Amino acid sequence: MRLFILFVFFSFGAALAQSGKSEQLEEILLRGNFAGSVNPGYSIQTISDSLLKSDYQSLGELLEKQSNLYFKQNGYGMVSSISLRGTTASQTGVFWNGIAINSALNGQTDFNTIQGSSFNSIEIRRGGGSVLLGNGAVGGAVNLSDRIPYGEDDAFRFFLGAGSYETFKGQFSGLVSSDRFTVKLGLGGMRSENDYPYLGTELKNENGQFENYNANVSLGYKIDDHSQILFHSVLFQNDRNLSRTLTVRSNERLENFDARLMAEWKYLADRFTSSLKFAFLHEDFTYFFNRDQPENRSEGSSDRFIGKYDITYFIRDEILIKGGLELENANGTGSSLEDAERTDFTAYGMFQHRPAERFTYNLSLRAGTSTAYSIPVIFSVDGRFDLSGSFALKAAYSSNYRLPTFNDLFWEPGGNSDLEPEASRSGELGLQFQKEMHTISLTGFLIHSQNLIQWQPGAGGIWSPVNINEANNYGIEFSVQGGKRFNEHLLSWNLAYDFTRAVDEELDTQLIYVPEHRANAIFQYGWRTWTAQYQVQYTGEVFITTSNSQSLDDYALSNLELVKSFFDRRMILSLKVNNLFDKAYQSVAFRPMPNRNVHLNLTYKF
Amino acid sequence: MKSNKLLTLLVLSMIIFSCTDDEDPVEKTKGDYEFGYFITNEGPFQNGSGTLTFVGDDGNVQQEVYKTVNGENLGNIVNSMFIDGDRAYIVVNNSSRVVVVNRNTMEKIAVIEGNGVEQPRHFVAIDGTGYLSNWGDPFDPTDDFITVIDLATYEVQGTISVGEGPERMLATSTGLFVTLQGGFGQNNEVVVIDPASNQIARNIEVGDVPNSLQDDGLGHVWVLCGGNPSFTGSETSGKLYKILLSDLSTTYQEFGPTDHPGLLNFDSGQLYYLLNGQVFRMNPGVAELPEDGIAGLEGFYYSMTVENGELYGADAGDFASEGIVKVFNVNSGALLNTIEAGIVPGQVVFP
Repeated sequence: MRLFILFVFFSFGAALAQSGKSEQLEEILLRGNFAGSVNPGYSIQTISDSLLKSDYQSLGELLEKQSNLYFKQNGYGMVSSISLRGTTASQTGVFWNGIAINSALNGQTDFNTIQGSSFNSIEIRRGGGSVLLGNGAVGGAVNLSDRIPYGEDDAFRFFLGAGSYETFKGQFSGLVSSDRFTVKLGLGGMRSENDYPYLGTELKNENGQFENYNANVSLGYKIDDHSQILFHSVLFQNDRNLSRTLTVRSNERLENFDARLMAEWKYLADRFTSSLKFAFLHEDFTYFFNRDQPENRSEGSSDRFIGKYDITYFIRDEILIKGGLELENANGTGSSLEDAERTDFTAYGMFQHRPAERFTYNLSLRAGTSTAYSIPVIFSVDGRFDLSGSFALKAAYSSNYRLPTFNDLFWEPGGNSDLEPEASRSGELGLQFQKEMHTISLTGFLIHSQNLIQWQPGAGGIWSPVNINEANNYGIEFSVQGGKRFNEHLLSWNLAYDFTRAVDEELDTQLIYVPEHRANAIFQYGWRTWTAQYQVQYTGEVFITTSNSQSLDDYALSNLELVKSFFDRRMILSLKVNNLFDKAYQSVAFRPMPNRNVHLNLTYKF
Repeated sequence: MKSNKLLTLLVLSMIIFSCTDDEDPVEKTKGDYEFGYFITNEGPFQNGSGTLTFVGDDGNVQQEVYKTVNGENLGNIVNSMFIDGDRAYIVVNNSSRVVVVNRNTMEKIAVIEGNGVEQPRHFVAIDGTGYLSNWGDPFDPTDDFITVIDLATYEVQGTISVGEGPERMLATSTGLFVTLQGGFGQNNEVVVIDPASNQIARNIEVGDVPNSLQDDGLGHVWVLCGGNPSFTGSETSGKLYKILLSDLSTTYQEFGPTDHPGLLNFDSGQLYYLLNGQVFRMNPGVAELPEDGIAGLEGFYYSMTVENGELYGADAGDFASEGIVKVFNVNSGALLNTIEAGIVPGQVVFP
């Protein structure tokens, strides 16, 4: 593998002389392995800048509304975890400019500790992606992208919002660029009393207050037409009191801090790209059982140093090869972690061939080694066949893994250093129709997972993780997007429905907190400077016991937004009503979610 | 012919019996839950409620009997239950409350909560006074206490401050014995409270992590100490302490250095405990620990109760769905019954 990559590296000089695929290469350089052209067999949904900037909100809230993703939340603003295609929260990879950022401690991402609006785009890639992306992309992956433009007009933007439960938020962002140099800055914050009533009871969310602060700085310097050096950073501080449940009062508090820094050298030639990244990721949390006694707390933190090198090369117009190396050193400490350290080295290669104008396929492979566990060799095959100008058939088959986390390996007591990575194989078949403003997509998938890590009580009553479970997931994803314009009126819609079965092989029951049915519909109507949007999401019944004896009711949730722009769209005023019909619902059992709430947002650009 | 006559007699007597029954309501049962026993189910941690399972003498098993009768949840982590006459005290740990019910009808009588009830563990009643062990803030080793409750009014009379992690209690002729198991940590004391003054009469040092205790009716209290588990970095062996009620002097027997026994029971003159997945029986008159477990009773029970020659072993399964309680003949090891319980079955409680 390494020889192969070195060969490619040294042969790029020859490639410079050739002409050709610059548009595709630019996309690959910008989006890395989330680029559509390196994933012919998969569907990638991109959430654009304008949608991200329309509100200052957590990544979880944003994705729940804009895509048909299911999150389980311990109350509004509290810990929020994803289940994609019925997989666990640690089997959905979250990436930041292509670098995996799931917690090194528990393998998951709390989607309420990432701010959504500070990125330029968010890509959602459903399906197994461990070969191209790495650890954890079993059910799918989400990528947070920063983009650095050059030579654009200076742009500044203020955002202010206020709403129910004494919620206040604000953000400033600015971009200053020349032809060769760009500075981008974003500063934001949000706080809320979050004391919504628990509908149908006399209780309220008396310990749900939170506040968070976000800072992003990006720099770009264009050395010449081919090379640029970039720097990205995100700092996020989130302090939350943790909501009570219907049966337990709470005085708990959780403080999170994340710092992510990355330097990148990008090179773009006619037929060749390369990207060299160095990243540092820091996470830490402090948990207080009783926030009035802050001396009694538990803590955890991790630091990761990552080096990543990726190249892409068009050998011929119809043959693209891609490869990369990734080295990661991570260490963790905490109240229950001792000497947690690992170093992982992985390499992947991809061969893409387009034997006919309407047919593209990919073959790819990843292998690696680690100081903490054995990393399996995994492979992937995917392809796309254009049946006609508007119909495309997509298919993919891959093996994937999810590596054990620091908590799994080193938790005191109970950590198990003999754990194997979770392994899965997944296949999917999709049909896509695309014509003018309309896209219709239908995908069926299968995932078989084994060696799933589960914590079990051991002989001495101490819980310990073991590779024990097996699961079979299958389902159907259906989406329709379209629009119609007549005179000054624009009507658009975005409908999605997912059917997901995730079956524990031994028990033959549906995994807990995986809804069989999930649907999302967004209708938007625009007229001149006015926009109205109605969104309704449906979450089917979820089981809350592994025997499927108990469940949470399904619910449909409606949100309404009215937007008016002024001064040639420089000022935008928006009124949002969430939970329009004041529906009592729970995402996690005994943890009610907010009643009807209203927010007013103002954006001013100059 | 003979059996026919018998049958006629039986039918006749039944008619007569039911007639008298109709005429004399005093003969009626006190409630649906008079004859049988209860299983406390902790319920899922944080996101849910514990429940009570009732197992009738007729073999009928009913789940969620408190919720069925009262239409509400007990609360989170139902840790224990104490029956005193017609009343039962259900200790709900994480919700910090004690629910008082009529144990025959399951109807709620009162809820003891607020000041003086914080992370409660176990309840014992002595002559109209209730004693409740509390961890307080489980991360604060200095705020643990025993609550004294007037059972006529269900009002908190006061609290008695004790060391870390008060757990099980036992009323004896010498006073109220409280094991200081250590909560999330480890402790090594038994506190004796004088119920006349509600003052601490004695602190008795025992082995590490005293987890259960029994009165053998022969003038001794037996305290089983699990020892510090290995993850503490200072592992100690389990110990079985014998405390003389007359002078509170102690002797003990020691288990192997990595043996951590628990769940001490006393039935029909014998002590029982669980160690390494085996149930051991010991005659309190014999000075040595038994070498072999009882065949047929093997299991890593989450809780274990020995009553009238039967062993009730709770199996919480994966802790995320309903567990079971297995009933064995404690002598033969034969499995007599498997009872479906609620989520994380804990105690088996007999009236």
